[in-house]
Formats: sequence, structure tokens, C-alpha cells
Amino acid sequence: MRILLAEDDVNIATITQLCLEKIGGHEVVLRHDGEAAFETASREPFDLIILDGMMPKKNGLQVAIELQASGVVGTPIIFLSAKTDDKDIEQFMKVGTGYISKPFDPQTICEQIDAILAENWGKSGR
Amino acid sequence: MKSIRLKVHFILAAALTGVVAFAYRAYEFKADFIKHQEAMNTSLEIQTTALALSQTAPSLRRPQSEFNKLREWQNAIAEPQRKTAINSLANALNRRSPAGVRSASLEVARVESQYYSETKSQSEKLISKIELAIALSLCSGIFGLLLITYTVRARVFRPLERLSRRMKDFLVDRYSFQFSHPDASELGELQRTFNSLAQRVINTMDELKSLNQAKSEFLNIASHELRTPLTSIKGSLSLIGSGVMGEINPSCARLVKIAETETDRLIRLINDLLDLAKIEAGKLPLAHAWHSWDGIVSKTVEGLHGLAHEAEVQIKADPVPGLEVFVDHDRIQQVLTNLISNAIKFSPQGSWVHITAEITDYGVLLVKVKDQGPGIAPEDCEKVFQRFRQVNTPQPGHILLKGTGLGLPIAKALVAEHGGEIGVESELGKGSVFWFTLPQWRDEESSSDERAKKGERAA
Repeated sequence: MRILLAEDDVNIATITQLCLEKIGGHEVVLRHDGEAAFETASREPFDLIILDGMMPKKNGLQVAIELQASGVVGTPIIFLSAKTDDKDIEQFMKVGTGYISKPFDPQTICEQIDAILAENWGKSGR
Repeated sequence: MKSIRLKVHFILAAALTGVVAFAYRAYEFKADFIKHQEAMNTSLEIQTTALALSQTAPSLRRPQSEFNKLREWQNAIAEPQRKTAINSLANALNRRSPAGVRSASLEVARVESQYYSETKSQSEKLISKIELAIALSLCSGIFGLLLITYTVRARVFRPLERLSRRMKDFLVDRYSFQFSHPDASELGELQRTFNSLAQRVINTMDELKSLNQAKSEFLNIASHELRTPLTSIKGSLSLIGSGVMGEINPSCARLVKIAETETDRLIRLINDLLDLAKIEAGKLPLAHAWHSWDGIVSKTVEGLHGLAHEAEVQIKADPVPGLEVFVDHDRIQQVLTNLISNAIKFSPQGSWVHITAEITDYGVLLVKVKDQGPGIAPEDCEKVFQRFRQVNTPQPGHILLKGTGLGLPIAKALVAEHGGEIGVESELGKGSVFWFTLPQWRDEESSSDERAKKGERAA
């Protein structure tokens, strides 16, 4: 899969990218803020977009909402966040396809992603 | 008049003065009345003597005693007309002239009878004066009492009632407590004091609310800030440990494994702390529903299978077919998990952890988790439910994960949220029984019977 990963924390970005590439065997494009992620996602096609919840310039939720508003509706979006407030999680689930909490288990993050995508395959019909 | 005390005292003084003054007047009138009565008696005596003299005048044998009496009277009496009449009678007696005595005694009788009737009418007037004075004295007493009663009711009891009503309102959170115009009396002082007291309570409550708000905000931010670096640490360790990044030598692998295990523990600790804070702040919404008890237990035991296997401890659960409980499934499973994993942690190899459920005489479901571990000293039984108070430590080098010290406090908070109780019975060397109760249960197979039984018990 070709995945767009938006994460402002360089360390977490590196690790997540490594997990996705080494364990999952995916191709990862990395962006470090919301605005860059939005531009890249509007220009190029991806199979999956993974957004950090809190990023400079634009947060994950804003990026997702603006992408959907600008017509990028076919791509599933998964949020990656250390937020634990029930209200935040509820919003992530409403706007995106799924939500993975930090700290995640690198061994199983690819399985988690697959599970979310499989679960939503029927629902979205994409 | 501002002060109730002054007003009451004033009324009391006025009424008392009235009562005493009129009573004194009545007393004076009574003394007058007695004088009049005495005068009337004397006059009667004089009349009787005079009449007797007029009859017996012709045969005056011993006039001396009558003569002396007449002189005595003459001196005692003030009225000149009576003095003159008696004097002439006495002179006639002295002269021993029967005709003079007869006419003089008739004159005395006439004068005395006139005096008698005058005095009588005066003393009758005195009686009505006495009656009036007594009546007035009574009236001022009664009027004073009524006035005091009215004052006390209007100025004391009614404001007191209002005050107590507002205090009760304040107790049930209806903040209509303020007296916008406190009375200008001693009670007004009380009302003003209550106003400022209530204001202080409200301020404190607001402060508490904002503190609580700040606390949950702090918890949210702190947990976010703690999770971010932990994500990198856990990710790096996991990637190195799994060998994806290249082979590492076995001793390095062991160190990486230790670091990873401790990182996991740190993450659990943060999660537990956050959970506990949420439960205690009442911010954990419970999704109550009817669930099969055996279902919850078997799911919990399934989740702990790995841990039990590793510790070589068997889990035995007595099934209770048909029993259903009205709980938040995940949260009660969390309680059971905390209790059972705790029991496993302290169990010797090859022993049992036994789970039972029964209905007590009080109509609640009692769940017990028994182990064959070292037990807990009675004085420590309360401590185990406090945060970070592990009284026993698992055997050194125990293969199992170390606890966070929050498992039992979380279980306690969750059970409390379900309206139940939690506790432990134990003796050193004899294992422990951790128990908790759930108030809402039903027996699906004979639910109507059970409900009827419960009704009986309640009755």
C-alpha cells in the first residue's frame, strides 16, 4: 500500500515509518505538519492516510475534514493520537475510518491497520 | 424600635407598671372601704344605744356606763353635727331628765341613721371603684401579654421560619438563600451571617469545581505528554527487539526485553492512573445492561489464560446458570481481571484460584475470588485497597509482570460505581478471599419467582 503519514514528532515519525516499511512492507510518504500533509494528499493518490491528532499549522481533524470537503473522499483516514479524552476519540471515529492510540505496539500496528480497513470495507464500499 | 429585646422589655415594663398601679389603687380603695365599714358599725352601735336609752329613759338606774360610752364616741367622731347630738344626749343623761334624754336620744338616732345611710352609699361607690381598678390591672396584664406574643411571633418566629426554610433550600442546592433586605433586628444579624456563610460555601464550591476542572485538564495534558515520548521508546525497543533492524546478540536482546517490559508497565501505570482519576471524578460513563454472569466470567478467565499458564496456576469458576447481572460488562470484567490476576500473582505454583458467586441473605450477588497464596495480615486488609500500597511482594524473580499498585483501588472504585462493596478476608498462611457485591441481578430461568422472593425480602 502507498501510505501518507503525517506526524510532527520526528522520533515517532521515524519509528512509525520503519514499522510500516519493515514489518508491513508498505511505501510511506512522510510529512511533518498538517498543511504539508493536506497539500500532498490533494495532489497525489494514496491507499491510506495516517494523521497525528495534534500537529502544527493544521491538526489531524482539520486536515481530514478539509480533505473530505475538497473531494478526497475515497481514501480511508486513520488517526494516531495520544489523546485519551472520550470526546476526542468520538470525533476521530466520526470523521475518520479508525483510531489507533499512542503508545502503539510496533509489532501489531500493521495488523491493527488491516483490521480497521477490513472492518470498514463493507461499510464504505470503497 | 430596632432591637427586639428592647421592644419586649419596654412592653413588659409598661404592662407591669399598669398592673401594679391599678392593683395599688384597688388596695387603697379597700383600706378606705374597711374604714367606712368600721364607721358604719360604730354608727349602728350608737343608734342601738340611743334607741335603748329612749325606751328605758324613765327608769335610769345606772346611767354611768352609757354616759362614759357616749363621751368616748363623742371624742372619736369627727363630724360636728354628730358630736353636738351626742353631747346633748350625754348632758341630758347627766342632768337625769327623762324627757331631755328621750328627745336627745331620738335626735342622736336620727343624725346617726342619716350618717349611716350616707356612709353606706359611699362604701358602695368604693366597691365599684375597687372592681374597676382590678379590672384595669387585669386588662393591662393581658394586653401586655398579647402584645409580647404578637411581637415575638412577628419579629422572632416568622423570621426564624424563613431562615430555616432558606437553610433547607440551601442544603438541597436551591440557591435562593440570599436575604436581600435583612431585618433590622437581632435576627437580621443572623440573616446577614447566614448570607456571608452561604456565600463562602458557594465560593469554596466554585473553587473546588475549577480545581477539579484544572485537575482533569492537567491529567489529560500530562497523559498526552507522557505518552508521546513513551511511543518513541516503546517503538524503538520493539523494533530492535524483534530483529527487524538486524540481528542483536542475546544479552543485548535480554536488556532490550527488560526495557520493553518496564515501558509496558509504565504505560499501564499511566492508563490506570487516568482510569482511576476518571472514575473518581465521576467522568466514566457506565453502559449498564443485562449480561449473563457466566459469560462475563468465562471471558475474563479466557483473557487471563496466558498469565495463569505462565504461573502454573489453575483457574476454577463455579458456573451459575441463568444468573444475569445489570452492569457495565467491560468494567466488571476489569474488576474480575484485577482480582484474579492479583490472586494468580500471589499463588504458589500448582495451586488453584477459585471463583464463586452466590446470592446472600441480603439479596445481593456476592462474588468471591479465593487463592491459596500467603494471605494478608488482618491489619493490612484495609491497606490493600489504597493506592500504591502493596503489602506483599510477589516472590523475588517471579516471572509475572509487576503490578502498578492501582489494580485494587480501581476495582474498588468500579464496584462502588455499581453500587456494590468490596473487601478481603484473609489470614497469614491461609490464602485470601477477595469479594465484592453487585446489587442488581436476576435469575433468567425463574426470574418471576426470584423477583417475588426479592419482594418478600424487601417487605
